[in-house]
Amino acid sequence: MTISVDFTQPLTNDYVKEETFFQSLPLLEIKNLSISSLGENKKEDIKLVKNINFTIKSGEMLGIVGESGSGKSLTACALVGLLPKSLKVTEGQIKLHGRELLNLSEKEMRRLRGNEIAYIFQNYQGSFTPFIKIGNQLIEALRSHRKISKLDAKKKVLIWLERVKLPANQVFTSYPYQLSGGQLQRAALAAALMFQPFLIVADEPTTALDVLTSENILDLLVELQKEYNCAVLLISHNLNHVLKRTDSIAVMYGGQIVERGLTNEIRKNPIHPYTKLLLQARPVLSRVVPEKLVVIPGEPGLVAEQGCAFALRCPKSFKKCSILPKMQSVGDSQWVACHAADLEADYTNASS
Amino acid sequence: MLSLVRKRLLQLVIVVFILSIFTFGLMKLAPGDPVMSILNADEMMVTEANQANLRSDLGFDQPVYVQYGKWMHGLLKLDLGTSYMSGKPVWNEMMERLPITLQLTTGVLLVMFSISLPLGIISARYPRKWPDQISRILALIGASIPSFWLGLMLIYLFALKLQILPSNGMGSFAQMILPTFTLGFSLAAVYSRLIRAGLIECFSKDYIQAGRARGVKEWRILWVHAFRAALLPVITVFGLSMGSLLGGAVVIEILFSWPGLGSMAVDAIFNRDYPVIQGYVLLTGVFVVVVNLLVDLSYYLIDPRIKQGKEGSN
Repeated sequence: MTISVDFTQPLTNDYVKEETFFQSLPLLEIKNLSISSLGENKKEDIKLVKNINFTIKSGEMLGIVGESGSGKSLTACALVGLLPKSLKVTEGQIKLHGRELLNLSEKEMRRLRGNEIAYIFQNYQGSFTPFIKIGNQLIEALRSHRKISKLDAKKKVLIWLERVKLPANQVFTSYPYQLSGGQLQRAALAAALMFQPFLIVADEPTTALDVLTSENILDLLVELQKEYNCAVLLISHNLNHVLKRTDSIAVMYGGQIVERGLTNEIRKNPIHPYTKLLLQARPVLSRVVPEKLVVIPGEPGLVAEQGCAFALRCPKSFKKCSILPKMQSVGDSQWVACHAADLEADYTNASS
Repeated sequence: MLSLVRKRLLQLVIVVFILSIFTFGLMKLAPGDPVMSILNADEMMVTEANQANLRSDLGFDQPVYVQYGKWMHGLLKLDLGTSYMSGKPVWNEMMERLPITLQLTTGVLLVMFSISLPLGIISARYPRKWPDQISRILALIGASIPSFWLGLMLIYLFALKLQILPSNGMGSFAQMILPTFTLGFSLAAVYSRLIRAGLIECFSKDYIQAGRARGVKEWRILWVHAFRAALLPVITVFGLSMGSLLGGAVVIEILFSWPGLGSMAVDAIFNRDYPVIQGYVLLTGVFVVVVNLLVDLSYYLIDPRIKQGKEGSN
């Protein structure tokens, strides 16, 4: 089955029907992606992201969770070709609508950025150049991709500032420092959605905001995502945000995806010990908060060099964990890379 | 903004006042006697009576503070006195020579920016690659070669050996080349490194990455987003080095026989022509202060956050 996609047309709501949601071809397909830092002489030095695979479908919201340094943001940067010069994609494929992004020229990549894949940053203060008015920066972005007059661009920008529930005229003529964090992140949202991209990468978009503001921003993101049916890659530290809003989840540890699948499945039935511990570590506010919160043992960022990255901290680790576990499917929509999980599965299979 | 201008103008008055005391005092302390040079210039027998006459004419027989007071009184009326040597008012003399020095400095700045801008930008775009290494070496050479030596070498090479450029005089374009390049090159060496450092710092900012993520074209990233912020340290140093630019102009004017302010000042110093020296020092002082005021005002244009009293943190 082939689906031809007209790249010049923005996606509309009826492009992907709700019924065909899970059968539709993936919008973004990441296969076997590895990112390494380059040491002296441009040689591959340390592998930071190790052979990860995932797909996103149109209209899907995929959450990537994991602790700092687990490679979430690197993966996201690689998507838009904005890895720092000292890092390099060494292996793998990134396909958007079947088109390989890693082979694109810098010029083609520039055309794609913003237009087809938009990026929202964690640091809202860094989203806009501090000495240029917001409106002019949005117009600049529009005119980088579309041939429209300044006046038309201004109209469009004002509409979009309105869409993200900002006082459009005021924000348009404001400098970034004159706006609050929430307002800036809304403006960044407008900058991202303005092009009605296929995919929005939201790299911890609310980490630097207070709780209420971040809820509002995420609600807005979900609302507009639904309306324009674009996919969202939501990178977050906040498990609650991710569990509440995403369709599926990928859990990363030490540059590997240890478990991925539908959010509901993973919430109900986490298999990888890291995922389990992660879910247990959330205090449940509806119940009495226990004296001691559950913590994941070991030092954050401790990554085993060989085999499963989590092995050094894993309560269930055993000899076999020094060999890298393969991604195995569990059920229809859940995958996990863990030897201990295999063992349990074998055990349950054998006992039943 | 207006309050800043007001504050700076007050500063200007104070600076000029202190400058005037210093130059006046130093002139009086320096060895040498203007009376002798004036009288020698007439190539006549100098008698004690001649000297005494001239001394009282010039007011040298009065106490120093009275002399200073008289000079200050004239200054308030914009009268800087008359030159001992030429007999012309100092103000007129300076205004005659000012355009010549301005012509030189404009040329120097043109040369400086046309070398340092491309060099700085290229080395910022490709740090530690060969253009950067070349610019590093050029900067080292430019910063360590004294401009009078470079000037002499250039005269030797282009005027004496190759005979393609004139070694002195002014007026034609060809005569501009050697002097402007001599001074412009050493300045360009410093500025290209400054521009490089500024740009590299800007390129590492989040907002540059954000601009790229919006798909903004690379030339706009450079000129609109990065360059403006990179300019801040450049113009700061520019304001501060205005004095040395004028000082450098003195050497160049002598070397290439340009009758500008600098050579006027040197002649005046040799002849102990006090009013001219004082006039020159005052003029350069005012000039440096005014340029620095303009530099401060340009911060507002470059970064609107400064207007709010918020120093930029990103």
